[in-house]
Amino acid sequence: MAYNITTWGDVKNYQTNCYRNYLFAPGGLRCMGSTWSPLAPLKGLGDDIHVIGGEPHSASAAGTVPAECREDIIAAETGGLGFHSCSYLKLFVGEVIRDKIAITDKTIKDGYPRPDVIWTTHLCSQHSKWYQEVSRRLGGVPMYAIDMIGGGNAEKDPKIVNYVSDQIEAGIEWLQRVTGREFSDELFVKAVRNEIKVLVLWGNICALNMHSPAPLDERRLIALFPPAVVDRTTDESVRIYEKLLKEVKHMVENGESVAPDQRFRIVYFGIAHTYGHPEMARILRDVGAEIVASVYTFGTCGNFKGIVNGKWTWEPIDPAWVDELDLSTRRKAITELSKIVLGWPTWQGVRSYWALEEMAKAMVTEYKADGLLLAPSRSCETDFRNGYIAMQRIFKNQIPTIEYDTDQVDVRKMDLPGAQRKTELFVHLMEAHKKGGA
Amino acid sequence: MEKKGRDAIIERFRHIAENTPEYVRSLKEKGRLSAGYMCTHVPEEILYAAGIVPLRILTSHESQAMTRGYIHETYCSFSHDCAYQGLKGDYDHLDLIVTSSSCIHMGEAFNVWVRFAGFQDKSYLMQYPHIIHTKPAGGFMAESFKQFKEFVEKLTKRSVTDNDLEEAIKVYNHNRRLLKRLWEFLRHDRPPITGPEVAAVTLASQVMDKKECNGMLEQLIERLEAEPGQAAPGVRLMVTGGACDDLGLFDLMEHLRYDTSIIFIDSCTAARYFWFEVPEGRHDKLEALAEGYIGKIPCPAKDTVPGTGEKKRFRFVQQFIEDFKPDGVIFLYQRFCSPQPMDVVALKPIVDKLGIPSTELELDTTVPKAQFQTQLEALVEIIKGVTP
Repeated sequence: MAYNITTWGDVKNYQTNCYRNYLFAPGGLRCMGSTWSPLAPLKGLGDDIHVIGGEPHSASAAGTVPAECREDIIAAETGGLGFHSCSYLKLFVGEVIRDKIAITDKTIKDGYPRPDVIWTTHLCSQHSKWYQEVSRRLGGVPMYAIDMIGGGNAEKDPKIVNYVSDQIEAGIEWLQRVTGREFSDELFVKAVRNEIKVLVLWGNICALNMHSPAPLDERRLIALFPPAVVDRTTDESVRIYEKLLKEVKHMVENGESVAPDQRFRIVYFGIAHTYGHPEMARILRDVGAEIVASVYTFGTCGNFKGIVNGKWTWEPIDPAWVDELDLSTRRKAITELSKIVLGWPTWQGVRSYWALEEMAKAMVTEYKADGLLLAPSRSCETDFRNGYIAMQRIFKNQIPTIEYDTDQVDVRKMDLPGAQRKTELFVHLMEAHKKGGA
Repeated sequence: MEKKGRDAIIERFRHIAENTPEYVRSLKEKGRLSAGYMCTHVPEEILYAAGIVPLRILTSHESQAMTRGYIHETYCSFSHDCAYQGLKGDYDHLDLIVTSSSCIHMGEAFNVWVRFAGFQDKSYLMQYPHIIHTKPAGGFMAESFKQFKEFVEKLTKRSVTDNDLEEAIKVYNHNRRLLKRLWEFLRHDRPPITGPEVAAVTLASQVMDKKECNGMLEQLIERLEAEPGQAAPGVRLMVTGGACDDLGLFDLMEHLRYDTSIIFIDSCTAARYFWFEVPEGRHDKLEALAEGYIGKIPCPAKDTVPGTGEKKRFRFVQQFIEDFKPDGVIFLYQRFCSPQPMDVVALKPIVDKLGIPSTELELDTTVPKAQFQTQLEALVEIIKGVTP
């Protein structure tokens, strides 16, 4: 029987409260930016910081009020953004243009809440341009983008770690200047430890899917990682993930799963399209095929050991390691934060084909995959689109592999019947492969 | 009939721009080392100082399907075409392929060369800031340049001295000044050279040994300075946008139903390639290079001023508009490019505010001439106030 996650309610409430605070809190500081930004520096400015991250907000809004969000995308395109631009970006900018915002409890608020600062990152070619456009449309919002140089093994390269740390350090000075607030190192260090802890805890939760049956499926992974992407700096976010880790460990010990029929284990590379297109997940579910691992759900806000002795591993990091970290000075805390953020698997493949391939090889092996599903997102130019075709070449003689195009939130870009047919074929191939025939 | 003087020199430049692999082979025959590069953020001076001729990988605009098996179709045609150059083997004579981390699309083109075109053991990916205006960016660049210099020294089995670097900086600065002088002709009422000709020369300069290029440029400028202008320029058009090495498109812009002149091209295949200088005579040559490259007109993929999010390129564009006085602006970008069209959204209102009509052309591997011609003629009609 399928297991029901009891921590789910905490996760949902936390996510919704974060967004409600951004929308309705009477005071405080509203901060906007990529969710892939180190968030702890913002928390050094006080206890009343309300954050909204571009990608998770767009993803969750599209899942909650899809019709509204299609209007946002169209508004952005009418406003001049290209059909091929990132659809998360377009949805987000579309809300600014339409001067309304939708959140996960289905609230649609008229009057877009203007941020006090934009604190973001830049890695793909649109990452900081996204907020340049938001800032321009809102008449100029102070904006600071951190250049995350990225590339495989970046967190172990002192040159890159120093570069990112220098930018964060300068950014903290900037934050003080533009907000007029004094920066509290005490609050900052606390937030850094929480941020790192949540990222490590999520890595541990994902790694439990190495077990058979895998306790979590892709749709549940997508649903459970919002606190880690929305605001991972709070005590509450740590508490939620500690509770979730305990629960998922308990599931493993008892051989339980949210999707217990797992004849085929699939490794998936792509953004969360099974959430927007449950019919795709259903094809797999009906034959006992489950996505048990994906770079997107694991690596967007989870950290793993990464490259050890020249080879990538998805083994988790011991959460106790976080408690031992020396964060006794601002610079030390910044450095640890830079390392953990640079170590995100999703960063690694953006600028480094070999890291992407190493991650794929390790995931297929460690999660004992029967098949590899590649679903590049047509409007995301990072590792959710690059390197995919080359990966088909790598795995073609090992396990059944299919590829079809999707998009993170723009349903117009998905060839649903074609993707369904390919998925059915994929299932047949895995069946045949198991029998030694393909 | 054999062309003489300026025409012969321009024709030679254009031939090199359109037949780069042939030029690479000629270098090989002379015993020269050569390196292809994918993005103009590679400091060519370091290669040149080591005796290597750097050449930009440009495209051939052939309709092809080969690269669809290596790069996703939603990457820009320029990156596909650059990847194609490697896959079809025309550049096998290169001793090295190098790029700096810039836009994701060109990074993929580079990956194709490295993984599938036989360049696995002769490639270099340079870490380069994505935001060039931060304070720490200069130090990071200088460090990256140092690592690159060490790599090049190992490759060539010779050390690159400060004198070598200074000499290379001077050769390259000289080239930039000559190109700038060439472009300055287009400001004149009766320029002795056309926009497409200047574009061809600029493109050729990106694939040539700079000393040879400088010699030809000096001869050309000398002749042009002695010549009167050829014709009234007609409607003055300025192009701004992304990489475009399709000289046929620039020819088209000057062969409409109306008289038109291209008077400036702000793109990384034209003015953005050379519109900067590296400080000379500095103690630390690599820091000087970093300072010079930070001073470039920013590529939209790297253009975010910390604190304000300002796009610095717009300041340059406005300056060019003031200096070159266009009647119309053409926004040019590759289909599927992310950063360029994002800039158009913000730049168009500025151009509108200046009262300058504009149009957008979206590029692909091949150019839809009839469609573009109609679009461009409509722009000219708007400028001239032609009543239908």
